[in-house]
Amino acid sequence: MGSRTATALLVIATAFSIGVLIPKLGDVRLPGIQRGYEPEQPIAFSHRLHGGELAVPCLYCHFGAEPSRHAGIPPANVCMNCHRFVTAPVGAIRAEDEAAAEEKRAPRRVVSSELRKLYDALGLDGELKPATGAHARPIAWVKVHNLPDFVYFDHRPHVAAGVVCQTCHGPVETMERQRQVADLTMGWCVNCHRQVNREGVNGRPVNAAIDCSTCHF
Amino acid sequence: MPERADTKYWTSLAERDASRSSVEDEFPQPLDPTATSVSRRGFLQAAGFSAVAATLASCARAPVEKAIPYLIKPEEVTPGRALWYASTCGGCSAACGVLVKNRDGRPIKLEGNPDHPLSRGGMCAAGQASVLGLYDSRRLKQPLLAGTPTTWADADREVAGRLAAVARDGAVRFLTATLPSPTERSMIGRFLARFPDARHVVYDAVSSSAILDAHLRTHGVRVLPRYRVERAEVIASFDADFLGTWISPVEYAAGWRSGRDLESRPPRCSYHAQLESRLSLSGAKADRRVRAAPHEVGPALERLTVALARVAGVAFRSGDGKVGAEVAAIVDDLALRLWQARGRSLVVCGSQDTDVQVLANLANHLLGSYGATLDIERPSLQRQGSDGDLATLLTELAAGRVAALLVAGCNPVFDLPGGAALAHALGKVPLVVSLAPRLDETARCAGIVCPVGHQLEEWGDAEPVAGVFSLRQPAIEPLGDTRPLVESLALWSGEPRGALELVREHWRSDVFPHQGGEREFEAFWDAAVQRGAVEITPAPSRAGAFRPGSARPLPPSPRPTGLTAVLHAAIAMPTAEHAYNAWLHELPDPVTKVTWDNVAGLSPATAHRLGVAEGDVVRVEADGVALELPAYVQPGQHDDVVAIALGYGAEASRRFADIGPQWLEAGPSVGENGLVGTNAAPLLALADGTLRYERSGVRLSRTGRRRALACTQSHHTLTVPDRLAPGGTDRRPIVEETTVRALAAGPADRLETPEEVKHDLWPEDHPTPGHRWAMVVDLAACTGCSACVVACQVENNIPVVGRDEVRRRRAMHWLRIDRYFSGDEGEVDVAFEPMMCQHCGHAPCETVCPVLATVHSQEGLNQQVYNRCIGTRYCANNCPYKARRFNWFNYAHSDRLADLVLNPDVTVRTRGVMEKCTFCVQRIEEAKIEAKRTGTQVADGVIRPACQQSCPVGAITFGDLNDPTSAVSRAMANPRRFRVLDELNVRPSAGYLAVSRNREEGGYERV
Repeated sequence: MGSRTATALLVIATAFSIGVLIPKLGDVRLPGIQRGYEPEQPIAFSHRLHGGELAVPCLYCHFGAEPSRHAGIPPANVCMNCHRFVTAPVGAIRAEDEAAAEEKRAPRRVVSSELRKLYDALGLDGELKPATGAHARPIAWVKVHNLPDFVYFDHRPHVAAGVVCQTCHGPVETMERQRQVADLTMGWCVNCHRQVNREGVNGRPVNAAIDCSTCHF
Repeated sequence: MPERADTKYWTSLAERDASRSSVEDEFPQPLDPTATSVSRRGFLQAAGFSAVAATLASCARAPVEKAIPYLIKPEEVTPGRALWYASTCGGCSAACGVLVKNRDGRPIKLEGNPDHPLSRGGMCAAGQASVLGLYDSRRLKQPLLAGTPTTWADADREVAGRLAAVARDGAVRFLTATLPSPTERSMIGRFLARFPDARHVVYDAVSSSAILDAHLRTHGVRVLPRYRVERAEVIASFDADFLGTWISPVEYAAGWRSGRDLESRPPRCSYHAQLESRLSLSGAKADRRVRAAPHEVGPALERLTVALARVAGVAFRSGDGKVGAEVAAIVDDLALRLWQARGRSLVVCGSQDTDVQVLANLANHLLGSYGATLDIERPSLQRQGSDGDLATLLTELAAGRVAALLVAGCNPVFDLPGGAALAHALGKVPLVVSLAPRLDETARCAGIVCPVGHQLEEWGDAEPVAGVFSLRQPAIEPLGDTRPLVESLALWSGEPRGALELVREHWRSDVFPHQGGEREFEAFWDAAVQRGAVEITPAPSRAGAFRPGSARPLPPSPRPTGLTAVLHAAIAMPTAEHAYNAWLHELPDPVTKVTWDNVAGLSPATAHRLGVAEGDVVRVEADGVALELPAYVQPGQHDDVVAIALGYGAEASRRFADIGPQWLEAGPSVGENGLVGTNAAPLLALADGTLRYERSGVRLSRTGRRRALACTQSHHTLTVPDRLAPGGTDRRPIVEETTVRALAAGPADRLETPEEVKHDLWPEDHPTPGHRWAMVVDLAACTGCSACVVACQVENNIPVVGRDEVRRRRAMHWLRIDRYFSGDEGEVDVAFEPMMCQHCGHAPCETVCPVLATVHSQEGLNQQVYNRCIGTRYCANNCPYKARRFNWFNYAHSDRLADLVLNPDVTVRTRGVMEKCTFCVQRIEEAKIEAKRTGTQVADGVIRPACQQSCPVGAITFGDLNDPTSAVSRAMANPRRFRVLDELNVRPSAGYLAVSRNREEGGYERV
């Protein structure tokens, strides 16, 4: 094989590779950036349904964001505020009601397979009574927004300043499964801090510190 | 401007006498030129390997992290927010009030409770460190029967069966240390009431029995008075270290401080004279201090009493005790001062000779101190030990007359002289029950061990002073299968009930009826739980008037030959109960600066006479008892004395054999005996009904061996040897000193040098538009007690490095207490100077960091960014205050249980990273964020760094310098304020207030 052929092959291969890689360039990220991280969760909880369709306020479940550093994942007793009554999608319940009316019997309680996991965690049986022999165990959700251990992010000042959750967490109300949208890198944080110091949040002037010890201590 | 006296300050004799070689001055650690023989090829290989390893490591995906919420969240808990519970410290019998910080279900820090009437928000080092005991994985987790783990049911059956067997005619004895809890005391009484021959024997490892015995003789009641140091204008202390280790040091230090207001015009300052044989903290802070041999203390007090009796017109015949001329002079001067301030003066005495204590009572009686500076109507209950009872018990035990012995809260086999004999005698007692939290020396001799839990796991109470009650509430579920003392006793008495119920019952019947505030018990109880402490009117005391004939002259005692061993409690190890605590072992003693050891302290003259150098292992012998300890040369100590700290050498310290990084050259933290230090208790004597802490006729000989002490006194020193200093700058301004007289002279004698206009290399490019944090430390108040050092360690996750690493100057404390001597090596003056990062405006560390890992914040803080730091250590080299600490290793976090004490608000640093004091920036951020959240401003005094919070004397002020009304701004304007190494113009944010002694002679000194 002559060197001319080799060169031609090399050029074609390079061109092909670039052609394939260029569309993917947007996905290239530095090590440690978990943007796009969308792990499977133990219960297929839908933010689209709760936050979007039903318009439950974020702080109803993530109540920690206002008084505490951590927004927190809601404890199961918060879920039970509604899911004590709502045990399955409304369509399934309506279907059961209709079937029961047709068969002239009392409607049975319909429990969706995902909510079954919640009740299992709480040690409840099909009638939402404490099940004998069952022992309650907390739900191990997979953490999506991870910061390194040397960063101390605090939700409080952001909520107090009126920064909406979507600024950092993305359009959560559209997500079936929670996904990391922002880089969560230091540059990303600092850029926003600089910007709001110039422009304010919702027109209100704020003082977003850019000292290292704001987050690192 | 007043004349600057030319006082020379020194940290050690070697430094003062410039006896170190110039190489040692430059390079304190020995240099090994062969150690750096890395070839070019080897270097490239290592560099290549590092690069590849770093690349590969950075390619890994982040580990999947789980977030596990509560299933049913307790209503009061918000994850990430701390809860605070008022409680009572269990570190010693002083029973200070504490607030327990509870984060996400874990107690992680104790802080002083400002509402507590005795401790007033202060704490001591041992109290601060006691939270570590909760997470001690070697605490007993279940009862032991003949050394093997068993269940409570089996243990209880065994105890009940054996007690039933001896109930009819056997002698039942309950041996405890002073129990501050009234519920525990009453439960022991109820438990023992079932037995015809039963007694509760109380002793203290550091006993004050003679004071109680003396009051029995002079006032007809066996009480320990409550010393109202805050009311005393003249304090004469005869060998009582009331600021350091004596009875209730936090309470006394706070009182001592409140009697010294140097800011009022004219200054109102008490006069404190100390007569002592070793150099204690109280001696270090005394306005006048005189060394006296232990046998001179009694005669000196007698001379004082005679002088007072003469001016009071009371007949008192003196013995013929002779004292040295110097001691006589100070005593005569003191007598005059005390008499002039009668009713506002106080004599305290640490002697364990009842006759001497009776003289102290007479002196206080003549001065009208009773009812004024000395309260026996509401006596202290912090020491109730009776050494006479103890002696009787030991006789009974030796004779085999005890059928059942229960031991709680004490460790007699370790604490008492003749521990081996006692262990043998315990073997002959049919039933020995230990109620210890750990398998200590005594529990090892017990057939049945019924472990009690940690103070943070159990309900309890305390009555440190008659009428002052406080509650102890649990902050966590018990980590092991332990049971409170009162529950065990209730069960064995046949009325099983919970500790909470028992405490409430006692309070309902014995506390509630004596208070006037609340009508309902529940409201009273809730208020007590919330506030932590209540004060009630106690039952009237049975104390009679002073019995005139009770004092008698001291019998003539021959001058002892040889040395006298003085055995004392140490700041870092008040009793062996704390021997499990690595924080306390690593805490340098404020005077000797020695860590991880107890030493045989000798005065420089005696060491010279005996040919003993620091670190020589010496043999201390008396009447067949011999100890081997490293020697330590202690300026300011009496020449006839060898001072040894008690509490070291306990079995619990055996665990430290491999603490610290285990690397090629690692050395153990324990000595040849496998323990930290040596138990000096065998030198104690139980004579004339009291435990004696002085042993005369001691012989001292060299063994020829050496032990390099982990002594931090020459580490991180700011002083420059004279011959290395450039001309004219050999005396660096490190400590300043003044007298109350100079302060009283008023503004004309202003001590402050006018702020010199210094030219800057840098433009003013560090504006601080918002806050500007600053700290001021009052050196006149600082007693060197080191509570701040441990508080900082707990708050900031500072690792323990072990003895060998401390010896290599790698101790990690962010806050250290520098101790400077001045004057003659016999009669030294001592100045304590807490030294931490000074947060310089022109910080030398910042300019040399190649990666900008240390930079300035807009609030005047010097920030250390761990994730940027690459460990060049240039900053530490360039820090004039030597305040930076380097992580040479990943310090052990292998004990998962002990890791639970870590503060989740502070990063745990890794190997290769520099760290230093942050002014507790996590607390600053917390306060700022809370202010933002509530739409308020950060109020002055809301942010309290850990050191400030724990300080019993309020020596530390912190706040915003941009607020002209803040406490720190006012302190900065104090005429006593100076800055350390001001000549360097690094503009530190930390200021110091000059040491001030209440002296006639001497003026303002800057050294």
